Amino acid sequence: MIELTGPILAVSAALAIYFLLRPGRGWLERWRRRLRLSDRVLSEDALKHLYHCEYEQRVATVQSLSGALGTPVEKVAGLVQRIEAGELATSEGASLRLTPKGREYALRIIRAHRLWERYLSEETGLKEPDWHKRAEQQEHRLTSSEADALAARMGNPPFDPHGDPIPTQRGQLPPRRGQPLTSLEVGERARIAHLEDEPEAVYAQLVAEGLHPLMVVQLTHLSAERICFWAEGEEHVLAPIVAANVAVVPLPREQPVEESLESLAVLEPGEEATVVGLSPNCRGLERRRLMDLGLLPGTVVTAEMRSPVGDPTAFRIRGALIALRGQQAANIRISSRRQVA
Amino acid sequence: MKPNAPPGACEICPAHHPANLKRLGVNMDRYDFVVALAGNPNTGKSTLFNSLTGLRQHTGNWPGKTVTRAEGGFAYQGSNYKLVDLPGTYSLLSTSTDEEIARDFILFGQPDVTVIVVDATRLERNLNLVCQVLEITGRAVVCLNLMDEAERHRLTVDERSLARELGVPVVPAAARQGRGVPMLIDRIHQVATGTFVCKPHRIQSEPPALKRAVSLLVEKLGAAFPDLPNARWVALRLLEGDARIEEAVRSGELAELVRVPEGAAPAEGTG
Amino acid sequence: MSPANTREEVLEAAANLRWEVGPNLHDSLMEALYTDAARITDRVLSRDDARPAFDLDRTIDRLVTSRWLGFPIMMLLMAVVLWVTITGANVPSSLLSSLFLETLHPALKQAAAAAGLAWWLDGLLIDGMFLAMAWVVSVMLPPMAIFFPLFTLLEDFGYLPRVAFNLDRWFKKAGAHGKQALTMAMGYGCNAAGVVATRVIDSPRERLIATLTNNFSLCNGRWPTQILIATIFIGSLAPPALAGLVSAGSVMAVVLLGVGCTFLVSWGLSRTLLKGEASAFSLELPPYRPPRILQTIYTSLIDRTLIVLWRAVVFSVPAGAAIWLVSNIHLGGVSLAEHLIQGMNPFGLLIGLNGVILLAYIIAIPANEIVIPTVLMLTVLSVGLPGVGEGAGVMFEFDSASATLGVLEADGWTLLTGINLMLFSLLHNPCSTTLYTIWKETGSVKWTAASALLPIAMGFLVCFCVAQVFRWLGG
Repeated sequence: MIELTGPILAVSAALAIYFLLRPGRGWLERWRRRLRLSDRVLSEDALKHLYHCEYEQRVATVQSLSGALGTPVEKVAGLVQRIEAGELATSEGASLRLTPKGREYALRIIRAHRLWERYLSEETGLKEPDWHKRAEQQEHRLTSSEADALAARMGNPPFDPHGDPIPTQRGQLPPRRGQPLTSLEVGERARIAHLEDEPEAVYAQLVAEGLHPLMVVQLTHLSAERICFWAEGEEHVLAPIVAANVAVVPLPREQPVEESLESLAVLEPGEEATVVGLSPNCRGLERRRLMDLGLLPGTVVTAEMRSPVGDPTAFRIRGALIALRGQQAANIRISSRRQVA
Repeated sequence: MKPNAPPGACEICPAHHPANLKRLGVNMDRYDFVVALAGNPNTGKSTLFNSLTGLRQHTGNWPGKTVTRAEGGFAYQGSNYKLVDLPGTYSLLSTSTDEEIARDFILFGQPDVTVIVVDATRLERNLNLVCQVLEITGRAVVCLNLMDEAERHRLTVDERSLARELGVPVVPAAARQGRGVPMLIDRIHQVATGTFVCKPHRIQSEPPALKRAVSLLVEKLGAAFPDLPNARWVALRLLEGDARIEEAVRSGELAELVRVPEGAAPAEGTG
Repeated sequence: MSPANTREEVLEAAANLRWEVGPNLHDSLMEALYTDAARITDRVLSRDDARPAFDLDRTIDRLVTSRWLGFPIMMLLMAVVLWVTITGANVPSSLLSSLFLETLHPALKQAAAAAGLAWWLDGLLIDGMFLAMAWVVSVMLPPMAIFFPLFTLLEDFGYLPRVAFNLDRWFKKAGAHGKQALTMAMGYGCNAAGVVATRVIDSPRERLIATLTNNFSLCNGRWPTQILIATIFIGSLAPPALAGLVSAGSVMAVVLLGVGCTFLVSWGLSRTLLKGEASAFSLELPPYRPPRILQTIYTSLIDRTLIVLWRAVVFSVPAGAAIWLVSNIHLGGVSLAEHLIQGMNPFGLLIGLNGVILLAYIIAIPANEIVIPTVLMLTVLSVGLPGVGEGAGVMFEFDSASATLGVLEADGWTLLTGINLMLFSLLHNPCSTTLYTIWKETGSVKWTAASALLPIAMGFLVCFCVAQVFRWLGG
């Protein structure tokens, strides 16, 4: 028998050392790079926080920073020192402020973040909960020129899917729109301008409620414990602290109130209805396709037949017979549902 | 005149004078005019393409058969026509590859005539595309296809009013039976040679805010590119942030679209 | 001012106006377009309001999508198409095969001998290349020439979108599109044609899913393998009266397993690899049109049958050469084929197959039609049965099932080998014609590789598991 234990051990040891120390791509090198990267990620996230505070006219402090980053105050102090040393921010007493250089840096990160969210929402099949998470990572990886190329390819979109403006190549942003949902009066109607995507847990709750920018809401109840409102035919109940993360633009009162809108999904074969609009929830390729087919406000749609297994349903839309899945039909709001004469 | 047209070249269009038409298949060495064939999916575009060129591209009762661009040719009254069958699309405003191919060809390929094939039984949806094409080019002919089906569904289309509304020739046809094909060729010829001057319909119902933005931008465009025939459409694309059009503005490529191709009378109506 | 500046000014003005116009530009533009379109339509379109007593389109639609008749009609039509294809193809298939294999092949051999052609050139050209091509054409052409026009007639009539409508719900659950039902059905004729047919799916993610899973539809080239192996290994277990039923049942089981794999893999792909691809469902149900029979037959022959056949021929000729060469090139007195078979045998036996089968699947990659003839030839070569077959590198088939069984058993085939060959014939990489088509359609090496590796990995895994269970049960 030939004894191979010795040589095998020697070869494995040599290989292990090679992979660990390989110049440029060794594990040791990668680990150190990741450490450095996480330092950069932390300071970029800090700059973003400072920028958001500035935009919303709040005061940023070491404490608020520690809360936003989920990092202990002691560690944040070191971080702030590094940022100040890089001339990206200055402190006046307890409050922290961005320098022009820091603001430019922050806007570049925000631009990358919002562009990536826009990209994910319009051109991929990924669903809402994934956008923010992925963009949080991608914002640190995209270089400015990559971000510009992405923007150009998508037609320099002015807004991200949450309704936030995307900073331009030169770092311009329009002034902030909207007021918190909680500032409305009972009975008042407003259009959602923006959903704050941080903190994540609150955002997830808003998404789960099915809220989207451009949705029209009407307040029905407001108290210290809860806030109730109608949106697209459904009543939503939120805790005020959650609702404060929804920014709205009030609508003039005189417009007629459309209460309890139904969706196309409720239409039974033999019934027709008038389309009121597509829910903002329906976006990207899907939205464009539905509009191309003529599903627009004012279109009269007749349900003709249902698949033998219950879904999809075929609708007569502007003369053509088009099958839509229940899920799609639920995104199309209708009114004046009636039997076909 | 072409005395050498092969006998039986017109087995599917009995009303046609064979002396005038010659199907050239794919053998296109030289041509005088380029004709683009646009339209919704499943409107019989490929059938029409086949009866015009004598080719036999596969057609089927399915939306979206033609995926790649097909080309063929025919000769009529001494002129050679190159026919390009564009992918069927519902719109030219979205971003799918098919729509980009169709749009870029109509805009930058500068066909002498764009034939928009329309399904007479789904007129409203098809007119959406017609209105979009007419914003880009005024040199168009609308082929009101599937008239036989419309008759079966007891629909009547007043093609004269339609022609008046759209400002371009409208030819009723049933390409599967060869009905209307000779007339269509004649109208293509008229538009290509400038005998017929189009006054294309322009979008009228946009909301005031959009109208204002467009007219502001059209003014600016007028300064940079005088006589641009489709300034309104370019303005709309810029407002949507179309990177390809932005590039054409930046490089000045757009100015080349102003030039009127040789051998054709100026056919554009108002800008 | 310079022209470049004026042009930049235009762009700047546009950028500023975009903030004002807001995010709804596309919506308002589409609304404007449709408002115009509706206004014009109102003016020019008039309809005869007297509702006809009988609306043919609506009546057909009610019938073919009805809860009680929808599925039976669908099954009936599919069964008719398959029955006409299988029975109709028998006669021309045997005519072609006797023409090519029994008349033309010997004639060519004679002519070559008369011309004094070197033995190796004669073998390479006639026994290798010509035979592979002839086999592919005679097995492939007749069923395709019948199946595709029938399918195209249903398509022209407008029935197929209704099938997609009826089945969409199940496909939706797997993250796929109802139209995939049709590309699958097309795959039963030929996977390459099935892959081309995915063009009708206009949503990028669903189209890729349909492309990657089309191979799980048992194609025309694999039906004969299934039927032959089922007859000699599984049908023979049952009493003679039931043998036909049992073997047909086992082939159906493999087909259903393929359908199961299609749904399972579609479901998996839509949640993992293809999660990020864009997706939008739309399915238009066009009006029924009377099909134009002659034109349909002509175009479907030209467009589908001949194009696919041509590709298969192009790929089968080099494969024929390879098959002949591996059997006739010797290293150290033993043919290359035997070396390869010996090398792959341990792995083959581990997964309940053997080296011959693995080698046959490698060199017969252009067309599934020539797998069984290659297996037989290689078996005779490696076992060394004197007086059987046509010689090294010359594919052949027996007229009787028992003769086939005799040769296979001589190489140690068992029931397990038979079952696993049936499974492996379903679960292996697509033929090279299909792979080439996938590459042409997707334009991506990545997706082509995925569509080859995924089924073959599944095949190895399934065969391995079946082998373990079979051996454990068998003691």
